[in-house]
Amino acid sequence: MEGVIQQFYLKSSILKTSLHIQSFCSFRFNKIILNGETVVAKEKGLSFSEFSKTVYKESGIAYPKFFKMDNLSKLTFLTAEVLLKNCALPSEEKEKMALVLSNRSASLDTDRKHQLSIQSKENFYPSPAVFVYTLPNIGMGEISIRHQIKGENAFFVFKEFNAKFLMQYSEALIHNKKASHVLCGWVDIEEDAYRSFMYLVSKRGTYIHSEAIINKEYQNI
Amino acid sequence: MKRGVAITGMGIISAIGTNVEENMTALLFSKTGIGEISNITTRHQKDIKVGEVANTNSQIAKSLQLPENTIFSRSALLGSLAAKQALENAQIERISEYRTGLVSSTTVGGMDLTEKHYKTFQSNPETLKYLKSHPAGDSTQKIAEQLGITEFVTTISTACSSAANAIMLGARLIKAGKLDRVIVGGTDCLSKFTINGFKTLMILSNENCTPFDANRKGLNLGEAAAYLVLESEAVIKKANKKVLGYVSGYANANDAFHQTASSAEGEGAFLAMQKALKVANLQPEEIDYINAHGTATLNNDLSESVAIKRIFGDAVPDFSSTKALTGHTLAAAGAIEAVYSIVSLQEQCVFPNVNFKQPIPELNIPPAVKFQKKKVRHVMSNSFGFGGNCSSLIFSSE
Repeated sequence: MEGVIQQFYLKSSILKTSLHIQSFCSFRFNKIILNGETVVAKEKGLSFSEFSKTVYKESGIAYPKFFKMDNLSKLTFLTAEVLLKNCALPSEEKEKMALVLSNRSASLDTDRKHQLSIQSKENFYPSPAVFVYTLPNIGMGEISIRHQIKGENAFFVFKEFNAKFLMQYSEALIHNKKASHVLCGWVDIEEDAYRSFMYLVSKRGTYIHSEAIINKEYQNI
Repeated sequence: MKRGVAITGMGIISAIGTNVEENMTALLFSKTGIGEISNITTRHQKDIKVGEVANTNSQIAKSLQLPENTIFSRSALLGSLAAKQALENAQIERISEYRTGLVSSTTVGGMDLTEKHYKTFQSNPETLKYLKSHPAGDSTQKIAEQLGITEFVTTISTACSSAANAIMLGARLIKAGKLDRVIVGGTDCLSKFTINGFKTLMILSNENCTPFDANRKGLNLGEAAAYLVLESEAVIKKANKKVLGYVSGYANANDAFHQTASSAEGEGAFLAMQKALKVANLQPEEIDYINAHGTATLNNDLSESVAIKRIFGDAVPDFSSTKALTGHTLAAAGAIEAVYSIVSLQEQCVFPNVNFKQPIPELNIPPAVKFQKKKVRHVMSNSFGFGGNCSSLIFSSE
């Protein structure tokens, strides 16, 4: 699959104009880094649930649906929230934006919780509200609903962060006029070990859209 | 105008027939396939109506010349049968002659076998082989083996828009020159998992469903499989092949509203229809018939009607849902309805929306209620899935 996309991209890259990255945002170790600067830092001892709840409350967002989400969706939602707030895109640009996210653990974190409730003899209750989150791309659905994003979207599961793939995929989307902006990145969680890294690719921006820069910023937390 | 992608064959098995001719006859006479469930033992037996395929697994296995104790899931059996018919209809004998792919959709996969064996597989390793059919891709692989396809094989699972997306991907693969021909469609059998899941969502009707009716009570699930053969212009010319119709427009859009519900404005449906018209280079008034998604749930039919009205204004073309005859066949729905759309082009007719009495008061756009002969050049077929995954296809006679 990767090979096909790379080939596809190589053909369309002849007309390439250089792309940029407007903003980066990462969540890890109870810290949030936005464009290289630490904007939130909480005690390391907090669980992800506690950390995410604090971040939600301090951000002043009123979106009660947040509390229904699983942890992967919360992580996806909050990272997009911080990033997009910083990018200030008009709603018509947001509507056409594409989403390309990836991770290593798919939705295993929630899958396990759901499986445990199926197996539990004392607390047997496989909840439909949990079940709907047993797919990794539901977080993309949550941010699509929140920001009214209606463009192309795709979620990939890789062994590790793959800057080259994400870069080629977003360039193909923009060069083939499928989108003018691509919200791209990595959102991974297994229990309290979480890591997110999102960035916005567009025709304008402070950073050059290159594999080296994406990798450097990914390592920055 | 540039032509769409040619369709040269089709195959189908559904509650209203085991081949194209039987389905066509049932459509012409509005013969319903909805009834009480018989192949699955379920506590909901008395509370639901379904569109079941009459043939048992062993009957289908036998007609495919598979052993009696086959490890094929019912989805793989239904799919293999319909896909083989499609190849035969397209008069394809040697798969290896051209670069040939298979894009198959399913949501149920091997769930029917998993349900039977999951309580015992840990203690009885003999049954593990059945569980291996669980992933959606397994049914596709088995169908590919039955057809002898090795080139490009992939599975699409996007809920109820799955088969429409499979048709769209196939058409795009041909247009991009990646394949010379491709078998596209979908298959889904009934399973307890789907029955219980939809029951939990409280969208199953205990009566024969009534799409687009003001008093609709929900959907009837169904099972089916259908496949189309799409071929490139070069192959058509070279082999001087008969063309049944063309896939001229397609689009998929994101409703961005809710995991299991459609927005009140039908935004995703609106965008999908709008983009499909653009791809086909057609104006709304050129659509002669819409085979609607029309599941008969409160939510879908209202949302779809709003979207149709937004696209077509005061000139809404004849539209109907054939799900009152077949049930909602999930990942096969887009494929069986593609077959019905092509039949509409071939027979120059519009199928009635059976069980309809009163229009939805908010909109007052009644569906077609009578079978009619008319000039049909372009048919739109809608398929909208959970997750806001909305697709619209356009089929044209030339």
